[in-house]
Amino acid sequence: MQIQLQQVVPVPLKEKFSQRRSDIWNTNITFDAGDWIKIVAPSGTGKTTLLNILYKVRHDYEGEVQWDNRDLKNISGDHLAKLRQQHVSVIFQDLRLFENLTARENIELNRVLQQPFYEAAMIDEMAGLLGITHILNQRAGVCSYGEQQRIAIIRALVQPFEWLIMDEPFSHLDIANTRKAADLIAMECKKRKAGFVLTDLDEDSLFPYTQVFSL
Amino acid sequence: MLHQLLKKIIRTGVGKGRFVMAGIGLTIAMLLILSAVQIQVNYNELLYAKSNQDSIANFLVVAKVINGNNRENVLSVEEVEKLKRQPFIEKVGLLTASRFKVSAQSPSDRFPFYTDMFFESVPDEFIDVKSNDWKWEPGSTTIPLIIPNQFLDLYNFGFAPSQNLMQLTQSMVMALPIVLNVSYQGQPVRFTGKVVGFSDRISSVLVPQNFLALANKQFGTQGDVRPSRVVIRTNDPGNPELVKYLKANDLVTDADKTRFSQYRRIVNTVVNASWLTGAVMLLFALLVFSLFIQLTIASTKNEINLLVTIGASPTQLQRFLMKQFLPANTVITLACLLVIAILQYVLQAFLSKQNMYVSSWIDWYTVVAAALILVVLWLVNYTTIKKYIKETEK
Repeated sequence: MQIQLQQVVPVPLKEKFSQRRSDIWNTNITFDAGDWIKIVAPSGTGKTTLLNILYKVRHDYEGEVQWDNRDLKNISGDHLAKLRQQHVSVIFQDLRLFENLTARENIELNRVLQQPFYEAAMIDEMAGLLGITHILNQRAGVCSYGEQQRIAIIRALVQPFEWLIMDEPFSHLDIANTRKAADLIAMECKKRKAGFVLTDLDEDSLFPYTQVFSL
Repeated sequence: MLHQLLKKIIRTGVGKGRFVMAGIGLTIAMLLILSAVQIQVNYNELLYAKSNQDSIANFLVVAKVINGNNRENVLSVEEVEKLKRQPFIEKVGLLTASRFKVSAQSPSDRFPFYTDMFFESVPDEFIDVKSNDWKWEPGSTTIPLIIPNQFLDLYNFGFAPSQNLMQLTQSMVMALPIVLNVSYQGQPVRFTGKVVGFSDRISSVLVPQNFLALANKQFGTQGDVRPSRVVIRTNDPGNPELVKYLKANDLVTDADKTRFSQYRRIVNTVVNASWLTGAVMLLFALLVFSLFIQLTIASTKNEINLLVTIGASPTQLQRFLMKQFLPANTVITLACLLVIAILQYVLQAFLSKQNMYVSSWIDWYTVVAAALILVVLWLVNYTTIKKYIKETEK
């Protein structure tokens, strides 16, 4: 699945980027299937906005985003749900877990929204790898940010996808846990031959990126 | 699994009290509407079913009201034609009266009697007596007669005991030849009368039409006389329209047979009131249900939003929400049908003791009505959910 951005610029940032150049905004770029893409930028330049535009949770932009040559603005309802269930998975910066569900239930929900990609046992396996087995039956609301972030990562990985969208996915993790999470993500992407778009504040060498952009 | 998780996220318990109220409202509305349908069906069954009709029910003898002002109260040709045109009257048969003097007497000394009398005739299809002897061949001197049952009753229970005479059975009367003397230019012409049946329908002495036509021509002493009475056949003697028409046109009939119309009006009023109340209550129940659905969706707007964000499809959410409401609706519908079925069973047992027969099962119409209400509920739920899920998505 290919993602194309044609002269996309968020309305609130329009003025700012009319004066300065950006790798992403106001230009035409293509993310090819299987690309591992890193977007580096300081705060306030629209990293989250970009990912929200790609995932269609924000609509206030000019230009056109195309998923496999289909304008994202024309994909809605059950079609959008299908895109999110089968083709695109996401890790939000603000995690967005259901606080009243347990960690396991949060992950399970995304596993059973569609025809499950993995057996339920995979949840325990991944939780083991990221070291959160002990909190699986806790309410997500009472877990620490670091734990919640790992729950969000596993939640994103139990579904089928061709693209994984990650917004500062390791912001609450220490170096050791970041390493473990990155390894798991790399493994899952390879397994699916999937690409990803990852945003962060700084450059890193966690993944062998195919493209790196600055906003 | 998805269902259980969704249930945990979208708490439908937010307005349990309202939900229960909507349920109660729906139950009452459903009971009213379904019983209205069932009462209507029962009433129609009572009115039109064969087992509930006796032979006199559909034939009425109609006459002008005798008010003492006129010497004769006869029906004009126009009046008869007008009667024929009424939608609730199927057929009109004229009662033709004899226009000659006739007397009857017993040939036997054991039952001596003598009386002046009269004949009337009416088309055979209006007569409730089926007899092979009910025919007259020209030239024959034996005249078949049909007399009212009431005559025999009057004789047996009134006249005979007071005169110390023997009571007679129908077959005894039918075996008894009667000497009929028709007065023709002052001379008696003798016939033999033979009773061939007893009528509950027409209280007159009937002779075959062809005989009376010929006899009137041959022996008649008066001019053309209009009928003062007609027999009408109607599909529904209880029809309030018929009663209204008769009253408006100064006509009378056997009140006993049209008294049904009084009941019918009452039943109609009750059924209509039940309908109306049921419909209004259904409307309110639907409103409360849809408000309840709106409330549920509005109060879990954030959760639904997040569900959609992580990839739940509107269809999945709709299906889930429908499952929260439709089972309750279905249970209410089935419970109402059950209650009506039990009531119907009890009603059947009660009515059959009074010789009125209705089915002991609820009618298909009632079941169809229940299904229709369920479909309406489904539609209202579905459109409400669809609309508000869509709004939440924005």
